[in-house]
Amino acid sequence: MRTRRLSIILTVMTVVLILYAVFYTRLAGVTSWVGVTGSETKSIIVILKSSNVRSDFWQAVKGGVDAAAKELGVETVVQSPLLETDADTQVTLLDEAIKRKPHAIVVAPINDYRMADKLEQVRKAGIKLVLIDNPIPLDPPPVSVANDHLKAGRLAGATAISMTGGHPKVAIISDNVDANASNARKSGIEQALLAYPNGVYGTYYCLDSKQRAYLIAKSLLSGSQPQFNTFVTLTESATLGVAQAIEETGMAGEMKLIGFESSIDEIQLLESGVLGATLVQRPFNLGYLALKTALRDIDGGDVETTTLIDSTVVNRMNMYSAENQKLLFPFSEK
Amino acid sequence: MFFGHRRPLLPLFPLKSIQSSISFAFSILILATIAVTSFISYRLSVDAVEQNATGYVEEIIKQVNSNIQSYVDNMENISLLAMTNKDVKYYIADNSFISAEERRVYEKRISDLFQAILYTRQDIASIMVFGYNDRFVSDRRITSLNPNVRPEDTPWFKSAKEAKGRSVISAPHVQNIIKNEYRWVVSLSRELRSTDGIMPEGVFLVDLNMSVINDMARQINLGNKGYVFIVDDEGNLVYHPQQQLIYSGLRTELIDEVNAAASGTSFAAGGRDGKRIYSVQDTSFGWKIVGVAYTDELMANKSAIRKSIFYYALFGLVVALALSVLLSHQLSRPIKNLQKDMKLVEKGNFDIKTPIGQMNEIGQLGRTFNMMVGQIKNLMEDAILTQEQKRKSELQLLQSQINPHFLYNTLDSIIWMAEQKKHEEVVLMTSALAKLFRASISKEKEIVPIRVEIEHIKNYLIIQQMRYNSQLDYKLDISPSILPYRSLKILLQPFVENAIYHGIRNKPEKGLITIRGFEQDGNIVFEVEDDGLGMSEERLAALWSAGESESSPGGSGRGIGISNVNERIKLFFGEAYGITIRSELEVGTTVTITIPKIE
Repeated sequence: MRTRRLSIILTVMTVVLILYAVFYTRLAGVTSWVGVTGSETKSIIVILKSSNVRSDFWQAVKGGVDAAAKELGVETVVQSPLLETDADTQVTLLDEAIKRKPHAIVVAPINDYRMADKLEQVRKAGIKLVLIDNPIPLDPPPVSVANDHLKAGRLAGATAISMTGGHPKVAIISDNVDANASNARKSGIEQALLAYPNGVYGTYYCLDSKQRAYLIAKSLLSGSQPQFNTFVTLTESATLGVAQAIEETGMAGEMKLIGFESSIDEIQLLESGVLGATLVQRPFNLGYLALKTALRDIDGGDVETTTLIDSTVVNRMNMYSAENQKLLFPFSEK
Repeated sequence: MFFGHRRPLLPLFPLKSIQSSISFAFSILILATIAVTSFISYRLSVDAVEQNATGYVEEIIKQVNSNIQSYVDNMENISLLAMTNKDVKYYIADNSFISAEERRVYEKRISDLFQAILYTRQDIASIMVFGYNDRFVSDRRITSLNPNVRPEDTPWFKSAKEAKGRSVISAPHVQNIIKNEYRWVVSLSRELRSTDGIMPEGVFLVDLNMSVINDMARQINLGNKGYVFIVDDEGNLVYHPQQQLIYSGLRTELIDEVNAAASGTSFAAGGRDGKRIYSVQDTSFGWKIVGVAYTDELMANKSAIRKSIFYYALFGLVVALALSVLLSHQLSRPIKNLQKDMKLVEKGNFDIKTPIGQMNEIGQLGRTFNMMVGQIKNLMEDAILTQEQKRKSELQLLQSQINPHFLYNTLDSIIWMAEQKKHEEVVLMTSALAKLFRASISKEKEIVPIRVEIEHIKNYLIIQQMRYNSQLDYKLDISPSILPYRSLKILLQPFVENAIYHGIRNKPEKGLITIRGFEQDGNIVFEVEDDGLGMSEERLAALWSAGESESSPGGSGRGIGISNVNERIKLFFGEAYGITIRSELEVGTTVTITIPKIE
């Protein structure tokens, strides 16, 4: 009798408590209740190629990373070697990052023989991996956010066509035979010019040296009548070297020049008209999307294996448009 | 009526006890109350916090607004200074008063002036004057202009010309007029006019470092995710921390809504990543400064509020539930007590008097119950009394009945004696019989003095002895001290009768009946002893029970049973009194009758 009554009371109380909980969640809309308590801050370590404040590209990438981190409320640490070629430091940084066990590592790997193993190690540690502009083949292919170099190349080709009034004859000055980005750009140009006979006059390699590019251009221009009307230079150093040669031979305007990337020198060449157009990347977007992708990967969302970022053609006419100014001058002082 | 067959209503609370029903009802009530109040208080406090947060954002944006306004006002003041400066006027005036040598002096003076201004103002990037006479001065001694840029082609130059003397604020842009210098600035430009105000003579330019605005906007604390952005009157972004993302379409901003919003107002916008508050402030020069704050950040304590309300409500609920159980127990306890007492009454205890607490409904119920039980008890007692009375008179009636056989036999004896002409015996017997009958039919009280009773039994024995003269002898041994006390009428006769009929009549030799009367332990004890045949246990038991079924016609037919006498004694004197019989075969039977001493 007594225990029965007790059990009735207990049942009533339990029912009431459950009802109350249901009421509460319904009324106050505490759907995020569980989410709020359950989600700790995500930590992501970002390792770029260069921490040099003079490197606009990587500073802009970092800006994008920071913007995304702020927007998404992610705890982010950005660490990079000072020099873009310092693979040793980058490997060390990666080792340290793996030890700290973040939720994800975003890395712009420097092309190095140790890198593939290191990246594999990151994945084995159960850390999500997102690559920026990945030149390193992994199996399965990693999630990466990259500049669409092929498309940029095609855009350069199209620009050459329009600048030459539909008669492009292009000399390509690349840096190295084994440079992935440059090769992609080159094939983009070739694709764009496929329909034009002798569209590509020739490809030359300056080994990323301004001096070499200058010499190549000089020799190409020294003949009485050059067999091409456009230089497409795939790197900044090539652009500057070729531009110097064009200026010296007084063929500015007559000999078209289409470059890649942007720097103060290139901007001045654009202003002076020596450089007809340059294909500018969007490093801010690169960093922003890389972090966003990493977070989506952590949260288990659908992630595209490769996110490609378009480049923009900037010429003398549009270089001071609101959008392009931001691309050419990502920072307030220069 | 037509709905005569209505089903009985379901009970409101399908629980068995009143206590659980009450606690259930209380609990539901409490639950609803607490849920509603906690929800309302949550809403209210969240609204209050939200309002505070909005006010906070508005305040911050007002601050930003006034800061930017002060920068612009400052530029304006600098432009006024230049406008009214005589050197500047002379320098750019389209006349030939100034020779080439003098020009250097003027340039130096103006440059010094600009430099002095620049020293005091860190936020100003550069100050320049371009005369329509192709002269220009800047804050630097040696200024080389960008060879690829003509000042006349720049937007700030053109718009200053169009504005005809009013100052123009440009959107942020990269200032490329100076060679090898590319700075993000906001430009204020203004056309300078001759003293008479008719002839346009040049354009004055002040550049404000954009980094000043950037830094200011960046340092605003609107939570981790909150930010400030600026749009101009055409809806173009002046400043946005994620301008590049917006340009490339990776992000959108609510620029239309901001343009529609009046200055000093706020509006809320939902979004994938939470509710945002947009606070808009207009500047005097056409920009709109917008602060965006995420409510969940500004209200970091929102979940704390939610949690604390939840816990308080939970606590209140538990307390209230415990109280409801206690209260319902308290309320239902008198009912339970009443119920318990009723159960006792059910079992036959009518001496219950249920305690009455307060005179509420239950108290009244208890009182009525008590009255009812009392009445039942009275009725029961009455019934018992009536029953006893009835029984007593019944027994009395039985007692006083004259056994017809005894009468016939006695009369036969008298006739027989009369025939024998034994006159004395006839007289004796007849008078004894007469006395016997007088005693038995007398309307006297039931209780008679023992003397009378002894007299009676003496008469009876006289008759019986005359009938069985050779067989029966008797002895009366009555203590004289008991004679004044009282006894039941015709108490001893049935036992004497039994002794004769069962003990002595069938005995071959002469039998003796001894009747004793004495005082013992404050009671009066009679003993009727015979030395007859005695009785077996079975016979004795039969004798007892014979009285029980006294009315049975197949009985021995001899008037009164022993049990009836016993019952009669108990009825009159109480349970403590009565009869015991001791009997032994071939030895005899002794009947002991105990009655109280009554004066």
